[in-house]
Amino acid sequence: MKVLIVGGGSREHAITDAFYRSTHDPRIYAISSNANPGILRICKETGGELIKGKITDPVFVADTAERIGADLVFIGPEEPLFHGVPDKLENRGIPVIGLNSKASEIEKSKAFMRQLMWKYKIPGRLRFKAFKSIEDALAYIEEYAESVAIKPARQAGGKGVKVIADIQAYLRKVKEEIKKKHTERIFSSIMAKYRDIEDKILIEEKVEGPEYTIQCITDGETVLAFPPVQDNKHAFEMEMGPETGGMGSISGRGNMLPFLTKEEYRESIKIIESVVKALRKEIGQEFRGVISGQMMLTMVWGPTIIEFYARFGDPEGVNVLPLLETDMIDICEAILSKKLHKIKLRFRDRATVVKAIAPRGYPNRRDLARNHPLIVDEDKIGKLGGRVFYGSVDLVNGKMLTGGSRAVEIYAEGESIEEAAEIAEKCVAFVRTEDGWGLFHRSDIGSPFSLRRMIELAELVRSVYTYRKSRGILGKYIDWIPGRGKIVYEF
Amino acid sequence: MSGLIGIFAFDELWNVSRILYYGLLGLQHRGQENAGIATSNGETIQVFKGEGLVEQVFREKILMELRGWYGIGAVSADPNDKQPVIVSDDSKQVALVFSGKILNKQELAAKYNVNTELIDADFVATCLLKEYSETRDFYEAGLNLVKNLRGISNIIAINNAGEMIVYRDEFGLKPLVVGSFGFDYGAFASESCAIDVIGADLKGDVHPGEFYYLNQYTVERKQVKEPRPKYCAYEYVYLARPDSRINGVWIYDVRRKIGEILAEKYRVDADVVVGIPDTAIPFSMAYANKTNTPVELGFISTGRKIRTAIKPNQFERLIGVQLKLNPIKPVFRNKRVLIIDDSVVRGTTTKNTVSLLRNRIGAKEVHIRVGSPRIVSGCPYGVEIPPEDELIAAHLSEEEVATVVGADSFCWITNDDLVKAIGLRKENICLKCFGGE
Repeated sequence: MKVLIVGGGSREHAITDAFYRSTHDPRIYAISSNANPGILRICKETGGELIKGKITDPVFVADTAERIGADLVFIGPEEPLFHGVPDKLENRGIPVIGLNSKASEIEKSKAFMRQLMWKYKIPGRLRFKAFKSIEDALAYIEEYAESVAIKPARQAGGKGVKVIADIQAYLRKVKEEIKKKHTERIFSSIMAKYRDIEDKILIEEKVEGPEYTIQCITDGETVLAFPPVQDNKHAFEMEMGPETGGMGSISGRGNMLPFLTKEEYRESIKIIESVVKALRKEIGQEFRGVISGQMMLTMVWGPTIIEFYARFGDPEGVNVLPLLETDMIDICEAILSKKLHKIKLRFRDRATVVKAIAPRGYPNRRDLARNHPLIVDEDKIGKLGGRVFYGSVDLVNGKMLTGGSRAVEIYAEGESIEEAAEIAEKCVAFVRTEDGWGLFHRSDIGSPFSLRRMIELAELVRSVYTYRKSRGILGKYIDWIPGRGKIVYEF
Repeated sequence: MSGLIGIFAFDELWNVSRILYYGLLGLQHRGQENAGIATSNGETIQVFKGEGLVEQVFREKILMELRGWYGIGAVSADPNDKQPVIVSDDSKQVALVFSGKILNKQELAAKYNVNTELIDADFVATCLLKEYSETRDFYEAGLNLVKNLRGISNIIAINNAGEMIVYRDEFGLKPLVVGSFGFDYGAFASESCAIDVIGADLKGDVHPGEFYYLNQYTVERKQVKEPRPKYCAYEYVYLARPDSRINGVWIYDVRRKIGEILAEKYRVDADVVVGIPDTAIPFSMAYANKTNTPVELGFISTGRKIRTAIKPNQFERLIGVQLKLNPIKPVFRNKRVLIIDDSVVRGTTTKNTVSLLRNRIGAKEVHIRVGSPRIVSGCPYGVEIPPEDELIAAHLSEEEVATVVGADSFCWITNDDLVKAIGLRKENICLKCFGGE
């Protein structure tokens, strides 16, 4: 059996590794723009091949799949989905795991996702406005001084999201100025290159609470969830700095997170199931692949959708794929034959911590972060009990060069998150650049301090949303405006 | 002493001057003589400072003109201490705010060829510039400098090339906390209340001996020196705002505990208990809750809130006290009154207050309890405490003080009481001004 993986990051390394463990002994092939050393090694070992090329080119991917005679194609990242790679493969009758281009709108267009949730009245939705013109967006910002998240309407590689708490009246001018400038920037630069979407910008109500990701696989009907994972988006220590794709993530014992209740986990999965159902109805097409809810426990709803991924999270996928005991090929075959309901996902019961290591410059100046030779002492890391998942690195003439994003992810497991975090932290020292260019990571991820903070935050949010639930006002906003009277706003 | 703030936005679209301004308002109680802000856009540093309260120094027009995506600010209790200090050579500018006391000035002066007569903030800024000129690396320069410093030094410094360094000495005598605002900026401040005021999230204390370096692409934390905590006890009793948390301890919790200790150990039968605003009010409330003595609001202040004890001269202190303490007469008339104060330094304020209550209003009895131990010596680390010959506690017994101020009884708490109230290990608390270690 031949499996072709599309994509060359840490997530794809973890996916490749899951296929490698299959008892069906597949030959593993990969298409990627970079030669990922981890994926390359597995390809070679199984008698497969890593082919360098453009993963967003449907014809190239389909031709390659045909040339090698792939029995199954698994697509890791989102951009090939947006570009219709699965559609092309399906056209040619090649079995593929990956949401087709229409279904992947759930990730690509944040406006589409929010509208879908509203139309089908799915819990966990937030108030939002989508704008096509800059004038309308600016006028809205001027009129409504409030705490907001301003996002490009399209998934733009995680770039351009700004979350502004606007509570202190005395700082309103500063906040208004930044909201406007950022809106202008989204129109003039971040969204300027995308022609595949009408809405340009989304202004959402800002919510607060602990975030977590629920990664699911679906055959279009059945939705099976992986254990919840918590990602850390801030680039730097002490939750400081710009938003990244994720600097590291944790998953806890019992395949749960310490700040999430079983009920909240179930509620979250229900939301994702509802969205899958609504999506099928809305687009009138079958789809299969991975769909993940990037969620937050909020005062408005409890479990709330921040974003959807049409893929595994990165790094979140790296936490749970190594724990997966169910055979990856069995899972894929069940998805393809629409028999996913017959599968039960089994996971080893271990706490895991993933820490991303990035070159200085990531995320805002990737040009600076690029092309630094990287040295990874896998033996030492292995002896400490950690594992390396290679990310944004390219093997060129025997040297590993950084690609500008998170270069490697260190995976460690343990009896507790704290234990796994300690192991991962020790491993970090064995990744360095040859030219001395600075690398950074988050030492605080998985620390007792950070876990305590998250649990405290969850308790606060939980006490509010359970109060609201008991009053029957979950998902409602009720206010009394002097001179206008009582306003009831139903979500 | 001074109150420090630093804001570093990772996105150049921000203008942080107004945020620094409100942060300084939140630190106003730490220094009321001078205020200043320095901001930078990564090319040049702008600075504005002046004498007086934050609101007096900064007019709207000035805030509009001060622009930059990172910056620092300070309030100072010393009239000669005008911060931020800005120093420059041909191409490099450095601005710095500082709180503490350098103990190896001679040694540093020889090393860096700097005049020892400079006051500490200016001295440290000049040393930093010298290091920076030599190493051409702000991170290295900052690290080298703080390794060479001995004494008490909280530092926030910026240059005109988009970099910031932050340091808290290994004793952590003075507080310094770190916070952040969304994905947008990191914030450092002498007290957590300033982080609250600007609407950022408190992340924790900068640990003793810890060094931070920030630029747009990285934040690095480094434990430069082994922590040897000696947290200032005076902060907990008097200096810090009750809505602050320093070294992991809520100030309000300490003050409530002090009130409970007064109730347990220094109780007196009274008809009413009144705290001297603002600091002693939590003491009086906790005392009342514990003893079931009625607690009342006894004094109303006029005009701006002035911290009388840190005013540099006697005349200004007197004006401050008189404006601060206008008694509400029916609270005291014909009553056995217990007054709780936060500190009795020279005794003059207490004497005035007692005589007012007894002689002018007609309180039947006036008892005084003080929520701090005896202040018997000045602070070797730069906290504004008067010289020893002005300290009543260094010279008189409780009995004698009672007679001098005209009270029926008078008690201070002990150092051990205070340590118990703070709840940290005694060896980690500096009690020098209270005659302890």
